[in-house]
Amino acid sequence: MTNVLIPESMEELRRILDTHPGARVYAGGTDLLVKMRSGLEAVPPCLVCLERIAELGAVSEHGEVVRIGACVTHSRLLADPVATEHLPVLVRAVGVLGSQLIRNMGTIGGNVCTASPAGDTLPPLYVLDAELELCGRTGSRNVALRDFIRGPGQTVLGENEILAAVRIKKPRMFNLCHYEKVGQRKGLCCSAVSLAAMLRVSSGGVVEDAALAWGSVGPTVVRSREIERILIGEELSVERMREAAAEVGKIVSPINDVRADAAYRRAVAGNLLLRLAARDESCL
Amino acid sequence: MTLRHGPLEIGCPVPRVDAAAKVTGEEKYAIDHTPENMLWAGVKRAGVPHGRLRAVHVEEARALPGVLCVLTAADVPGTNRQGIVHKDQPVLTEDRVRHRGDPVALVLAEDRETLAKALALVVPDIEPLPSVHGPGEAMRPDAPAIHDSGNVLLRAVIEKGDASSAFGECDAVVEETFEVPFQEHAFLETQNGIAHREADGKLVMTVSTQAPFRDRFEIAHALGLDPMSIRIISPYLGGGFGGKDGATVQCLLALAAMHAGGRPVRMTWEREESFIAGYKRHSVKMHYRVGAKRDGTLQALECDLYYDTGAYAHLGAEVMELGMEHAGGPYRIPNVRVKGSCVYTNNPIAGAMRGFGVCQTAFAVESVMDMLAAKLNLDPLEFRRKNALRRGDENCAGVTMVHSTGIGACLETLGRHPLWLERRDWKRAAAPFKRRGVGLAAVFNAMGYGRGLPDSAIARLELALDGRIRIYCGVSDMGQGNSAAFVQIAGGILCQDTSRLELILPDTDRTHPSGSSSAGRTTYTFGNALVQACNALKEKLLHRAALVLMLDEEKGLALLPGRVRHLPSGREASFELLARMLPEADRASVGQFIMPVAHDVPETGKEFAIGFPHVFFAYAAHLARVEVDELTGRIEVTEYLAVTDGGKVINPQGFEQQVHGSVAQGLGYALTEQLLLDRGAILNAGFADYILPTALDVPEIISVAVETFEHTGPFGMKGIGEVGTNGPLPAVANAVNDALGRRLTRSPLTGSRVLRTLGEGPAQPAIGGAPVTRHEWVKRGGGSS
Amino acid sequence: MKLRFVLNGESVEIEVRPDRRVVDLLREDFGLTGTKECCGSGECGGCTILVDGDCRLSCLVLAAQLHGRDVVTIEGLARNGRLHAVQEAFMEHGAVQCGFCTPGMVLAAVSLLARQPRPSREQIREGLSGNICRCTGYVKIVDAVEAAALKLANGDRR
Repeated sequence: MTNVLIPESMEELRRILDTHPGARVYAGGTDLLVKMRSGLEAVPPCLVCLERIAELGAVSEHGEVVRIGACVTHSRLLADPVATEHLPVLVRAVGVLGSQLIRNMGTIGGNVCTASPAGDTLPPLYVLDAELELCGRTGSRNVALRDFIRGPGQTVLGENEILAAVRIKKPRMFNLCHYEKVGQRKGLCCSAVSLAAMLRVSSGGVVEDAALAWGSVGPTVVRSREIERILIGEELSVERMREAAAEVGKIVSPINDVRADAAYRRAVAGNLLLRLAARDESCL
Repeated sequence: MTLRHGPLEIGCPVPRVDAAAKVTGEEKYAIDHTPENMLWAGVKRAGVPHGRLRAVHVEEARALPGVLCVLTAADVPGTNRQGIVHKDQPVLTEDRVRHRGDPVALVLAEDRETLAKALALVVPDIEPLPSVHGPGEAMRPDAPAIHDSGNVLLRAVIEKGDASSAFGECDAVVEETFEVPFQEHAFLETQNGIAHREADGKLVMTVSTQAPFRDRFEIAHALGLDPMSIRIISPYLGGGFGGKDGATVQCLLALAAMHAGGRPVRMTWEREESFIAGYKRHSVKMHYRVGAKRDGTLQALECDLYYDTGAYAHLGAEVMELGMEHAGGPYRIPNVRVKGSCVYTNNPIAGAMRGFGVCQTAFAVESVMDMLAAKLNLDPLEFRRKNALRRGDENCAGVTMVHSTGIGACLETLGRHPLWLERRDWKRAAAPFKRRGVGLAAVFNAMGYGRGLPDSAIARLELALDGRIRIYCGVSDMGQGNSAAFVQIAGGILCQDTSRLELILPDTDRTHPSGSSSAGRTTYTFGNALVQACNALKEKLLHRAALVLMLDEEKGLALLPGRVRHLPSGREASFELLARMLPEADRASVGQFIMPVAHDVPETGKEFAIGFPHVFFAYAAHLARVEVDELTGRIEVTEYLAVTDGGKVINPQGFEQQVHGSVAQGLGYALTEQLLLDRGAILNAGFADYILPTALDVPEIISVAVETFEHTGPFGMKGIGEVGTNGPLPAVANAVNDALGRRLTRSPLTGSRVLRTLGEGPAQPAIGGAPVTRHEWVKRGGGSS
Repeated sequence: MKLRFVLNGESVEIEVRPDRRVVDLLREDFGLTGTKECCGSGECGGCTILVDGDCRLSCLVLAAQLHGRDVVTIEGLARNGRLHAVQEAFMEHGAVQCGFCTPGMVLAAVSLLARQPRPSREQIREGLSGNICRCTGYVKIVDAVEAAALKLANGDRR
């Protein structure tokens, strides 16, 4: 039998983690419980469910920073006016994550800490240059997301440390955002390739700034300053995107797996840039 | 509540009677039965595709507290062989492991946790043998023999005329190779059941099964029991689609019950085990060659089919037989030669699945038909209409079509639909990076068992003491709504509403043998028996009423809800009154029916023990509109039209339900579903990676019924349960070709395959212009590509 | 642990292992077999229940998590013998075939309509995309939910 504890405050959580070595935390359970059933994760002596800790479940604004508690479910994020107004690229991705059921249970913190190469919140969080608030025994520390995930399923989360919140500076310098996820089906889609993008495009149609992030084409999300630089100063057109697309193959390192083959992922990763030129995904 | 309360009428869209209990969660499926004092049974599976089982280490498992016993082959009485026709599958493995799912030991435990622990402690000692994983591999002279009889379960030929010479007279010939993967039924209620043994030795089982009456014989043969000492109860199934035809858990469960000291035992296959141990749709490789005259008249068709039947026969020979019978499509072709090889491999077991062998050949034949039309510069719809079978024609198997044959009418109806008429404008309006195409498929599917065994049903009706009428139904309802149709038939003939009718689901102790729920046969065959029983009961009730009402003749009597009325005088006799006045034996009526068979059996197909040939067919013409994304290769089916000939429609809502459901499964087969195998190991044995269509993936499906009149069917109907599954793959492949000028010959039609084909040089035009060339596919060893 | 929560409108209390899956708790300990298990890994929606009004996958919720919550299963949807508008619509519109996905599908639809009272057909499809049906091809399910939405919007409560 595994004990299941459900703390209602950070203090209670701290006490539990201090007294239960080997305890595993979870929020929605849509990753951990599935892996425990399939044997990919061992059954721990104690499970700690974070869903009732109020401090972890809120979205708040602090000047230019939006703070999303780690246990904010995807459904709650989609309904949040602050997130909808300031973080459309993230909201767009979360809108096509899983299904109504998964979104009611899964959380942004869970998606980040699971650190799957196909995690749907990750490409948007990378283009948003998100920062993570980690809470440990000795206090808190902030780590940039790009430094937090080291590889598939690997993060720098220390022992007895939990992810408390995701902090994002409101992206003021972009006027076009885009997210596309490609999988084997439309519903309940597990990403085979995804692209999150934020651009600033002048009234003349020239790209002035770009932030791009690809998912499912490497051990972690791929960002590339080189590709971004190729776009900057150029027209947002299909021809220019085709040129940039040809370079994308060099910066991604996809694998063959049951969802898709590497050659497909490589080709599509580049192709998705062309969709940016179709210009029906603008926001803000 | 706004449901009708009046007497049921044939032809009306009456809501299904089973819906009420299902919508409240009250309906108990086999998996919902958990009697007191229940034990759990489970099986340890080999995990190795081919090998010699040297021993099974069971001592540790046996010693675990809460484990009642651990059984191996030595504990199996009888033949230890199960199978529907060909009994080659051990209940528990003796010395030969033939696929990873082969059961090597059976554990009986007090609870699920102990069962799991015990199974983990059972260790089979298997000496691996080289394994084969495709028909080509398995048929090589140096291939390891999977069965003593060799690796070919059956080789057969269906031919008429002289195909080889006839090609010489054709103005256009096309040739192509097609390949389709294993498909999973993925019914939501997995294989399961409960069983217990009574004091007198009778075995009682409640199981999710499509064939309760036959199950008794399968169990009896396997375990050396008397089939009449076995009672099988078949509740509504949470889906079957062919995967619960033939013993799944039954023999294992019976064996467990024999060691349970009278306690009830449950066996439930969880989803992963359902993938590993359950039956599959055959993976098939098909070489096709077809030729026609310049004016489009089909002249010759030749094909070589290789069915991968996996480790055991199940219904492999019968599946291939049906595929071969349908290999020429619903067309008039004077010269045909169909060769089929049904081959054992060390892959999972292939067996019955909706569309039974036909789904596969439909892909090939409907693709080559489009290719041929293109080569001759003919419209694909006109080409099909020109060659479509009519009543009186001989089909490709050489059988005269003496029953309703509506394919021509289906094609004609499709040709008048806006989805077809407005296709050019629709295609031109494609958005950036999208290419649009429209594709057709003309499909058919035989109904019934064919020759060689009786396709029979026996229906019993009873006037109960409370005045209600009980229908004793001998065929399982796996969701196709046959139960509801039977209530509607009885209500229609006897003028009763739902509240006065009661349906007894199959129970070998209470209902009569009526064959399996399969082959699109149940509403037709059982329906016909039921009509007979209803008419007999009606006659009886009117006669008995005349007696009760002291009438000097039976004229002027009518059945009304719950009573008989003498129309001239207005006097009535209630059913309750009549029931009380009749002895029990007189309150019942029985009807029986055997489906007619083909009388002109051609001099071919002699290798088939049963099945060949069939004589009743459902027909359909399908149209798929697709949008292909050039950036991702993904295919979206935006609309789907199915025009179906199922004879007269008894319940339009039920008819549509079957069309929608079969098309949806066909779309899954077309676009996303495949078992990914690596030396027999299923890499995607779960719903995370076995991709089923969700509500976002199935388009609006337009169903149009073309009502021929099937004279032999109840109220003119014939079964359409399967025909819809055969259309989507070829219709979508043809639509993709229309959109891209590229032909995909391997399914599923994934984004990856589409993108690869887009990258292979200049496109070939779909209609007119240069001939379509053959595609060489780069094969990857082992996995899919 | 002693688990206390509201189940289908009634307060209940039960001694249970905290790590027991809610789908097993409901089916085996409460005998409410309307909630089904079809995959055990959250991929099919067959085990859908409502927790505090939100639809959730009971195969991935542990008993301890239900403490103090308001749980509704398919058996608790009808009130005083009157079916919910969604249940009625499913029956009328032919949205039930084998019926195994039906309990989960109905609850997912109820949850969807609570959030989005007038969804388009596409939005209905999206809302039900986590509930697999192998029999119907979804068209009639969408018809039923659309009709139920209209009924509920017209003030025909439940």
